[in-house]
Amino acid sequence: MATDERVYDNVLQALPSAENPTPLVRINRLNPVPGFTLFAKLEWMNPFGSVKDRAAWFLLRDMAERGVLTERRGVVEPTSGNTGISMAAMAAVLGFRMRAVVPNRVPLEKKVLLRIAGADLDVVKDALCPSPGMGEGAINLAKTRAKAEGERYAMPNQYENELNAQAHYETTGPELWRQTRGGISHLFVTLGTCGTATGCARFLKEKNPAVKVVAIQPSEGHDVPGLRNVAELQVSRLFSPELLDEILEVDFELAYTGALALARQEGLLAGPSSGLVLEGARRVIERETTGLGVMIFPDNVFKYLSAMVRHLPDLAGGTAP
Amino acid sequence: MNKYVHPEMLVTTEWVFQNLGTPGIKLVEVDVDTQAYDAGHIPGAVGFNWQTQLQDQVTRDILDKPAFEALLGGAGISSRDRVVLYGDNNNWFAAYALWLFKIYGHKEVCLMDGGRMKWLNEADRPLTTQVAPVTPTPYSAKAPDASIRARVQEVLKGVRQNLVDVRSIDEFTGRILAPPGLSETAQRAGHIPGAKSVPWSSAVRADGTFKEMDELRHLYFVEAGLEPSLPTIAYCRIGERSSHTWFVLTYLLGLEHVKNYDGSWTEYGSMVGLPIERGADKKIPAATM
Repeated sequence: MATDERVYDNVLQALPSAENPTPLVRINRLNPVPGFTLFAKLEWMNPFGSVKDRAAWFLLRDMAERGVLTERRGVVEPTSGNTGISMAAMAAVLGFRMRAVVPNRVPLEKKVLLRIAGADLDVVKDALCPSPGMGEGAINLAKTRAKAEGERYAMPNQYENELNAQAHYETTGPELWRQTRGGISHLFVTLGTCGTATGCARFLKEKNPAVKVVAIQPSEGHDVPGLRNVAELQVSRLFSPELLDEILEVDFELAYTGALALARQEGLLAGPSSGLVLEGARRVIERETTGLGVMIFPDNVFKYLSAMVRHLPDLAGGTAP
Repeated sequence: MNKYVHPEMLVTTEWVFQNLGTPGIKLVEVDVDTQAYDAGHIPGAVGFNWQTQLQDQVTRDILDKPAFEALLGGAGISSRDRVVLYGDNNNWFAAYALWLFKIYGHKEVCLMDGGRMKWLNEADRPLTTQVAPVTPTPYSAKAPDASIRARVQEVLKGVRQNLVDVRSIDEFTGRILAPPGLSETAQRAGHIPGAKSVPWSSAVRADGTFKEMDELRHLYFVEAGLEPSLPTIAYCRIGERSSHTWFVLTYLLGLEHVKNYDGSWTEYGSMVGLPIERGADKKIPAATM
């Protein structure tokens, strides 16, 4: 192994850390205020393709080290895709089984990727007429499997497990601090399990309480896989509003046009959640005019081709002879 | 202490836990998500599939008497058993099944308060994938009790009655036809003229259990303005959420003459020429907006 030369004994060694961070890339054409320096942290450069590598590894490693996972007992986890893909691939490396429980609205690309990564798949119907506290189908089904078949499944539960936030406290936060040489003034994140927002905010504010953490949420009724707006956050025990300086709501359609703009103007093949973050960051920059901001771009666009075409039908034009 | 008019119609998760395996007590799980039972259920419970076992498979209708008898007898349930129903989505289809049990005159049947989710989230409540062995038994149902089932003609009668629309606000106002992703829908959106909007979920707490009597009385009689002395019809989309409200009105609040309109919006909203209202009802309780 020679990590400085990026030569590894196995793929798990390529997971990120302050010494092996995911890249920061400066936004140029899409930055409306040149006096405000804006970077994107490209989380799809993680070995399994998304920001979720970080939490997935902390959760899985903990269960493996504690002996919870065995040849007979694998992992069951509710996921909107990325955590499951990371966890399934990591579990395969370690020799454990993985069952992913996903809501039906998860894009087909992610469901197929889960199967490619070796996960067994449960697909549950989406919430019909949700009521506060009713829980979500995927979370409830994963809990059911872990409880009914405890000898076959253990559930790390990314929505409630503090190690999810800890992963960002120990990796993403220190990376951001080091990569900006302590100069970061704004962090722009989306909310899902809230692990990224909570873990990064905790670390950065310990270093410099003046760092502003801005969460960008899609408008209600949104169709941006993996994200939640605040009304949908009751399932996450990691949501820490006291660590957020602002929660900005952005029309969810801008997630898709933003992703397209990022590809066409910055050469960044970012997914729709990154498009949403960009729009939120632009609004803050126009207001504040100076600073050094970093946007967390959770994953790239490859898993959202069907969603992109659904929202931007012109993309399908010219794709047939 | 609960002060419901018919407290015997509810049991707690603790009561169920203490009575696991007690002869004469039969547990039945009925879920919206039909894969939930197979993934794990309370030991000893049988599972009914609402799509394939609780309705006629050809005509749009509830099970007829012979089919209901075959279902219960095949599940080893006798007419003397005390049946405890529970399910996901805060007992939507468990309440629907209870309504069906009452139509066919089953004497002792109740809901597990909080349903499947409460059991799932409590420590040390067991779940299993094992299907308990069942000894089929003859079951004799009563003639169907039409007094708790409303047909569309009764909705249209024009008599003074309470009409309660228990769907989401967006369905009531006509913004959407049905919650996203559902196959059963209607031709037109809106609500039955004169209906009061009280979404089913207003009756439950965050842990899925029913609210206290005082809160329920305030919700239905003060905020929504139902008149307790009038006959009442509850409806939703296909009759499952309205079963939940029918249960509340009948057994917790003790109203007489409450009916569940199982044709609900998928019938009413598809019929030619019937009047429809759209937009918000001034009496929508603020807490549900």
